[in-house]
Parts: sequence; structure tokens; C-alpha cells
Amino acid sequence: MTMAKWKVGIVSCSGEEIPEGTISRIATRLVLEKLRPDETVTICLPLFLAGGEGERTFAKLFPTITVDGCEKRCAKIGTEKYSGKPFATVVVTDVLKKCPNLTLKSRDELSTEEWEFAEKVAEEIAERVDEALRRQNEQLRSEKQ
Amino acid sequence: MSEKGKVVVVACAGMDKPLGSVTSASVFKVVEELRPQKVELVCIPPLLAGVSLHSELIMDLPVITVDGCAERCATKLIVKSGGKIRGRIFVPDSAKKHNLLPESASHLGPNGEKLAENIAEEIASVVDTLTKEI
Repeated sequence: MTMAKWKVGIVSCSGEEIPEGTISRIATRLVLEKLRPDETVTICLPLFLAGGEGERTFAKLFPTITVDGCEKRCAKIGTEKYSGKPFATVVVTDVLKKCPNLTLKSRDELSTEEWEFAEKVAEEIAERVDEALRRQNEQLRSEKQ
Repeated sequence: MSEKGKVVVVACAGMDKPLGSVTSASVFKVVEELRPQKVELVCIPPLLAGVSLHSELIMDLPVITVDGCAERCATKLIVKSGGKIRGRIFVPDSAKKHNLLPESASHLGPNGEKLAENIAEEIASVVDTLTKEI
């Protein structure tokens, strides 16, 4: 019998209004396509909020990581409202505090520094993915014993 | 220009589809290059999170929705939130019309960029029509 592989759902804010939203989306894509392609899927936040049953069911059954551009934390609030508490939340403005010399300017074309920052946010997300999977494996092991 | 002379644009974020990325790119072109003085870009999630400024904007100003797929989440969520939709752009239709498709969600490529430009022009045209009526 083949066991279904655990995946982690990443719910990114759409954040079109601010540069931090663009960083959220790019960092999420970096995780999905480069850093943890086999371990992650994305959940489309507008579809999730509009009532997408597939998205909501997935988020109830699998661990989720929300990625919010700003302190409104819409992805986290939406996930909690419709599915359950996310395993972890990454807030771009919190990560930005670790880079005091960086000011985000563009919503569209990222500068080299902004790309490097998006990669840093992606690495933080990937660390949370690893934690979530580690937790799942520990849980499975303890259930078997 | 006062907010009363403006139009709200609400676009799907479309993280999981290439045309969602085209949607985002096209609205950025409208807001940052084509009609920066006439458009307020409103994110979808804060509407559902109950951020009051966003709710007031979609109630007070005409809204253009830009949807990246057949789910039409932007349109559905504005209807659900009580906003007045005065214009709608359906990106898959525009892609067919212009016979252009992006390479992927993370890399639009030349065709995807061209499609985003064409859709931005379509949105700007609707903005102009609506702002003349206000």
C-alpha cells in the first residue's frame, strides 16, 4: 500500500497594495518551485476565501503556513476562520525588521536587494515547512507505538 | 483628484495559476504606470478580514474586477461584500483574444508580459469610461 505523502499548504497574502505583498508571493513561489517543491503546495487565498471547498478541506487536513505581507495578517485570519489554526505564520514586515537598511519600493519589478530579501523570506518559510513535516513524522511515530 | 473621482480595481491574486500572475502584473501596470491618479488598488483578503477602509472604498467607488480564472473570486467576493461592480475583465478571455499565454506563474516570458500590457490597456480603458461618468 502506498501512503499519501504529507504536504504543507502555503497560504500567501495577495498583497497587491504594498511591496511586502509582492515579496510574500515571490517568496512563496521560491519555496514551491525551488526550495521545497516536493513538500509544498499553494492554496489560492482568494479562492479559499470565496468558498473553495478543495482548498478549505486541504487546510483542515494538512498543516498550513501563512505568509502575510503586513500586520493585518489577512492570510492568517482567513485560514483560522475557514479551516483552523495554521502551523506557523511568517510576516514579511517582521523579517524586514532584521534588515534595517532595506526599504522595499516596488510592487512589480524587484531590485537585486529586494530579490535577496525575498530569498531570505523564502528560507524562513522553508524552515517552517521542515518543522511542520518533522512534527507530522513524530506524531505518526508516536501513533504507531 | 479626490477619492470621489477614482475607481477601485480588485484583482484575483491567483497564486496557483499562470494567468493569476498575469492578472497581478496587469493591475500593477495600471496603478503604477497608466492611471496612477485614477485608481485605488484594493486587496481581496482585507475585505474578508473586515478592514474598514477597504470596505468603505468598495461601497463608495465604482469597482472593476479582474479575474484570472473561471472561479472568478474577485467578482464573487466583491458581490459578497456589497460593492458595486461597474466593470469586469476576465483574463482567460483576453488571453484567447490576444492569442498570448504566459510561460509559467513565476516567469511570464515575453508573451505573458505582452498579455499583461494588453490587459492593462483594457483595464485603463474601462477606468477612463467610468471616471468620465462620475
